[in-house]
Amino acid sequence: MTAEMARVVVTHSFAAPPERVFDAFLDQQIARRFLFATSTGQMITAQIDARVGGQFCFIERRPDMGDVRHVGEYLQIERPRRLVFTFGVPQFDPRMTTVTIEIRPSAAGCDLTLTNDGVLPDYAERNHQGWSRILAGLLAAYDGVHAGGWQKD
Amino acid sequence: MGEYKGLDHTLIALADPTRRAILARLSSGEARITDIAVAFPISLNSVSKHLRILERADLVRRRRLGREHLMALNPRPLDAMAKWITQQRALWAWRLAELEHILNKESQ
Repeated sequence: MTAEMARVVVTHSFAAPPERVFDAFLDQQIARRFLFATSTGQMITAQIDARVGGQFCFIERRPDMGDVRHVGEYLQIERPRRLVFTFGVPQFDPRMTTVTIEIRPSAAGCDLTLTNDGVLPDYAERNHQGWSRILAGLLAAYDGVHAGGWQKD
Repeated sequence: MGEYKGLDHTLIALADPTRRAILARLSSGEARITDIAVAFPISLNSVSKHLRILERADLVRRRRLGREHLMALNPRPLDAMAKWITQQRALWAWRLAELEHILNKESQ
């Protein structure tokens, strides 16, 4: 599977220095307030073993689905520019995804790029076409035929 | 979870190039199974198998007209898949905005 498959990329600019933003991801007290959090949940556990090969576990209590356990392992810790960890929610899906955080200094502070790879599972395709490309192609094909007819209920 | 199972069925259905080609064929309109089979160098039996997998994912719907089985495309599961990716992106964006909020508050 090519790297571009099933990839979610989000960027954000911060008015804080790279070190501060980087440390927030590995600081239990700060990370529990945003990492793996959702707007309606309450984080009840945040365990971080911040070394390569170390594990983390975040448990969030959500009103609609109970306790949701997020687990993973740190693969690369290169303060303050790069952090890579695996991440999964075993109770929903045994597959793990990979999150890469890259931080670059900027005039105002820093720019962060978060990439979550493997958001959609790998079904061992032979022709290496990206899911996103497959989707885009199919959606475009349908859109052309059923212009505006199917996207809305 | 039901939501994920549906997504899995969609992904399994789309993982095969023949099934994607069948979907592309159906995107230009409803077709009889025999007409679909003619377009591919595989047996009618094997086309039927592919169609069943597409039906399980609800990407294709079957309608009987006399003795004919007419297959039509239902693109909604693709829409659901695209929406799911969009939701994932929105969730991460929200988390990073939260982090910014926390850091701003701390430096005050």
